[in-house]
Amino acid sequence: MMRKKTPTLREIQWGQRETEKLDLRALLCQASFGRLFYSFFKSLVGKDVVVELKNDLSICGTLHSVDQYLNIKLTDISVTDPEKYPHMLSVKNCFIRGSVVRYVQLPADEVDTQLLQDAARKEALQQKQ
Amino acid sequence: MSFLKSFPPPGPAEGLLRQQPDTEAVLNGKGLGTGTLYIAESRLSWLDGSGLGFSLEYPTISLHALSRDRSDCLGEHLYVMVNAKFEEESKEPVADEEEEDSDDDVEPITEFRFVPSDKSALEAMFTAMCECQALHPDPEDEDSDDYDGEEYDVEAHEQGQGDIPTFYTYEEGLSHLTAEGQATLERLEGMLSQSVSSQYNMAGVRTEDSIRDYEDGMEVDATPTVAGQFEDADVDH
Repeated sequence: MMRKKTPTLREIQWGQRETEKLDLRALLCQASFGRLFYSFFKSLVGKDVVVELKNDLSICGTLHSVDQYLNIKLTDISVTDPEKYPHMLSVKNCFIRGSVVRYVQLPADEVDTQLLQDAARKEALQQKQ
Repeated sequence: MSFLKSFPPPGPAEGLLRQQPDTEAVLNGKGLGTGTLYIAESRLSWLDGSGLGFSLEYPTISLHALSRDRSDCLGEHLYVMVNAKFEEESKEPVADEEEEDSDDDVEPITEFRFVPSDKSALEAMFTAMCECQALHPDPEDEDSDDYDGEEYDVEAHEQGQGDIPTFYTYEEGLSHLTAEGQATLERLEGMLSQSVSSQYNMAGVRTEDSIRDYEDGMEVDATPTVAGQFEDADVDH
């Protein structure tokens, strides 16, 4: 459905003036990029990540699983600011709603940035054709 | 607590997955008493013995977790972080976008803890909440494939077996196109009818049939004649 959204990767590439034209493509490519990132996160299962939430809470843990909405399950978690959230000190596993995630910090050596860029560009091109 | 109100306990109609009696509720460290926790597909609810309680909407639940620290004064419990404020004086939780105070740039956080007397139930409670959360993807989420309807099986789709939900969302969005968007659609459909000659297979597993069926304006830009072609995305191929 049409909705207000922050610029997608494609919009940043093409420039805001193309946004109208992109409405259709954005709809179509959002799905593909969503899938792309779902696949990407699936490949990181078992790795240690830090999830920063929109409420500024940061949670370090091992990526246990991710779903199509990028809801994240972490195990062996630790909170980077335990003084602010003392109740989370004893928490080991958690389920984080995908929509509250601001960033996921990934270990640099676990991410093939070039591969990700190529995959995203390939996805964008396939959308174009 | 004045935000507690009386309502009938959720039942099968609300998709009740699990009810856990003899469960204490704690709000930001303050005990609310013992009652029953209802984990339903529609919302998470808790009612005390007198029929007073509260409900939480899944989109407001930022995260939930199991606390396994037995030395914690509460013992093992279900921890739920909610993106809303629960004021003692107010009747209802205030979502952050409705707040008018000076903290409106700070996301409100409320911590609930549900402490069942039956600790062996915690795992099932956690799992039930995970399942219910997955049923409420955020419609504002730009990354989601969400659409009204059933689950979207990504893996089946990747294997070329699933329906393509974007077609659903597209048709829903059709009525919301601006005039310019509508003009764009017509132009793209025109190009499509001229140039649907090559069948292509992409991650979206779109076939010629599906294009005709849905007329989704899937342009086949055989030639870069459309203004504003994204040259920067044009790589050598």
